Amino acid sequence: MMGILTSMLRKVLFNPLNETNKDQDHNHNEDKPEQNASADLQHILDQFKRSADLIHHRYPREGLDVIYFSHMINEDKLQRDLLPPLLAAPAADIILNEQSQFQQVQNAKDCVTGILSGNAAIFYNNVAYLADVTLPASRSVEESESESIINGPHEAFNENALTNLSLIRKRVRSSHLKVIHLSVGEISKTDCYVLYMEDIANEDYLSELIRRIKNVEIDAIHDTNMLLQCIDDNPYSMFPQYMTTERPDTIASKLVSGKIVCLVDGSPSLLSAPSSFFEFFASADDYYQRWAIGTATLFLRFMALVITVTFTALYVSITSFHYEMIPENLILTLTTSRSRVPFPPIIEALLMETTIELLREAGARLPTKIGQTIGIVGGIVIGQAAVQAGLTSNVLIISVASSAIASFVIPSYIMSAAFRLFRFGLICLAGLWGNLGLVIGIAYMVIHLSGLTSLGSSYLTPVAPFQPYDWRDVFFRFPFRLLNRRPTQNRAQNKTRQKMKR
Amino acid sequence: MKKAILCVILCFSLTASGCAADSRILEDLGMVQTTSYDLLPDGMLSITASIPMADPEASAKREVLTVVAENTKNGRIKMSRETQLILVSGQIRNALYGLSMAKKGIYRYMDTLIRDPSISPELKISIVEGNAGELLRKDYDQHPRTGKYIDHLLEKESSWQTIPRVTILSFLRDLFDDGIDPITPIIKDMGNSIKINGIALFQDDRYVAKIPADDTMIFAFLKGSFKEGEINVDLSENGDKKEYAMLSSLVSGRKLKVSYHNQQIKVRCEIKIMCSILEFLGDLEISNEQDRNKLERRISDKLTRKADSMIALLKQHKVDSLGLGSAVRNKIGYANWKKMNWREEFPHVEVENKIKVVIKDFGEVR
Repeated sequence: MMGILTSMLRKVLFNPLNETNKDQDHNHNEDKPEQNASADLQHILDQFKRSADLIHHRYPREGLDVIYFSHMINEDKLQRDLLPPLLAAPAADIILNEQSQFQQVQNAKDCVTGILSGNAAIFYNNVAYLADVTLPASRSVEESESESIINGPHEAFNENALTNLSLIRKRVRSSHLKVIHLSVGEISKTDCYVLYMEDIANEDYLSELIRRIKNVEIDAIHDTNMLLQCIDDNPYSMFPQYMTTERPDTIASKLVSGKIVCLVDGSPSLLSAPSSFFEFFASADDYYQRWAIGTATLFLRFMALVITVTFTALYVSITSFHYEMIPENLILTLTTSRSRVPFPPIIEALLMETTIELLREAGARLPTKIGQTIGIVGGIVIGQAAVQAGLTSNVLIISVASSAIASFVIPSYIMSAAFRLFRFGLICLAGLWGNLGLVIGIAYMVIHLSGLTSLGSSYLTPVAPFQPYDWRDVFFRFPFRLLNRRPTQNRAQNKTRQKMKR
Repeated sequence: MKKAILCVILCFSLTASGCAADSRILEDLGMVQTTSYDLLPDGMLSITASIPMADPEASAKREVLTVVAENTKNGRIKMSRETQLILVSGQIRNALYGLSMAKKGIYRYMDTLIRDPSISPELKISIVEGNAGELLRKDYDQHPRTGKYIDHLLEKESSWQTIPRVTILSFLRDLFDDGIDPITPIIKDMGNSIKINGIALFQDDRYVAKIPADDTMIFAFLKGSFKEGEINVDLSENGDKKEYAMLSSLVSGRKLKVSYHNQQIKVRCEIKIMCSILEFLGDLEISNEQDRNKLERRISDKLTRKADSMIALLKQHKVDSLGLGSAVRNKIGYANWKKMNWREEFPHVEVENKIKVVIKDFGEVR
């Protein structure tokens, strides 16, 4: 069932714009089939020497040879639907040439690629035909783990590109949704689809993105996050410049707002471009709540950003330089808790931050059941014992814990990881120069962010360049009737999203 | 890239070369919370500093250091010889001056408080009746840290208007403004506790007179508008039986009207006080409107008379602590003001007080 669906989808989705990058493979020795070598049976079999999983069926009486990988195709369909008419016919080539499910291939290279991507190759009189009977292995559509929300759709993309495409098509039922097929990776030949809404998405962005994907030269791409690092504007930056998500509803909204989406086969996350810094702080949840709650949540997230970045650094700078800043009532508490600690504040803070990062990393790699143990051990050992042993002050524990919690409030894991790393630099600066260091660090971050671009558009968009209308959807979540325009960053061909009459 | 590496090297060499010596790590600091200054008969200063301590192993809650020195910062150098902590003044909240010093003028000894950038302009100033150092050194059983006790006492009382909130900023502002003279609260050691003992009136930076604690509310009415406060009014006349009214939730508004005719300055001070009455010992039935109006009139008269005598006290000492001079200056223009010597002129200015009390609320009893 799935195989039929996917093969049909593939036919529907393949676009006349379908281009394969032919000119980039010529100097690779792995691809032995010459461009011009004819697809004769012996040559193809030579290519697949020592491939134990290759199935080769011979039908000498009918003059047919069938080659395929049994684990990649729907054998049922092949054996029941495709082969019987061929075997029954007096001359198989009549059917092979007539019916569109069989595609004649001229050269060996196309034939090999076809077999590798899940087609069955049928040879008749040394002429090769490909029949698409793909049935790729993949898991079913499940709930998103990394971007779960409370209200709204729970389904998430999986690793199968065709399933993902169908999830998107299901949400955006428009013939304007165009899909361009590309392939990346010299060896892996990973399928990559670029999706956009015709008449909404900006053509310049589209051609730029396609150009960049075509120019990628790498042996294999395993995930969208890998691809996007090959095509982003500032590969040396710490910050992600394209938004990735594994939620179909988010992707649908990005498409409709005029962004371009890129899908990589084998990866559950899709990228949307161009992206702005503030997009990483929005969650689908904001739009499924009432507007006031959505707005408040957005404020909370930006507050979390400030807490994550500055809290521990502020503790270090205040306890090692700026005792004047401490409120009178806090001084004695702070001094008491600091007085037993043998380290200067910066060492103390780095120690605790490292411990928290160790805990987080350990928890992320372990199965849930052991993860809980880690949580308890970490919580008790770090929280209680470290203070009682006099290794840290409990005020620091509070600030480290709250900044760790705040860092997980940022919806994008990649963005929150970037800030967690940045925080270490800030703590060191605060330990060296106090508030001056803190300000230097933050100023450096702001300057760096202002210099970033995403597909050539400014990364800090509604702030610089200043676009007050966009603030309605970035720093607030206005009611939908007031969100009439598409984000300026997308430079959409049709700038008006809706004309609500009410 | 080379630039970036150079930058990093520069930064680290800067750090290594001693910038880190600026660090003031919290637990190594002795943060002076209150200092007191007394003038000794031989002209030397006696300086006392109170430093709250948080060491759980030490029984003392604070460290008190006293030195005799010729100037304040030298005093600090001498003090730091006696303690293992680095003495810093960034957390100082109170400065106490002994009466001996206040009589000679305190501006000279405030210099370090003004000059040191780590000292907040919100530092509170007060005068101690008696020896300031003794008061600060003394431990009061019910109040573990004397410095904090004084601070909270001043803070609380100023929020109830019984004393003005005098910070180093407001003191200096009044000192250098020629239309007003500075004031400070006065505190006094009462044995087991510390007491607010009135308001000190300064002529320039010298203490000249004092307003007793019972009359400080009258001073507050004359000084400006405020909300929140309480006053007890003694209505009994000579030989009469005792009558008292206790007014609370005061909302007082002051309006100064200055008239200037033929070189003759006349200041009219109109004060309207809204209040609710919390306790009344007397014959009038205040739930009755006529009686209540009568009471309001009697209280108003009484307060007006007290205000008049307070103005007389100020005139007697030639101190314009209320800032009437600023109002006059605004009215008569700078040229005329410049010609006039306000300090000499002030006792001859006619000041008319008009206090009107309105009782909004007289409680649950009908």
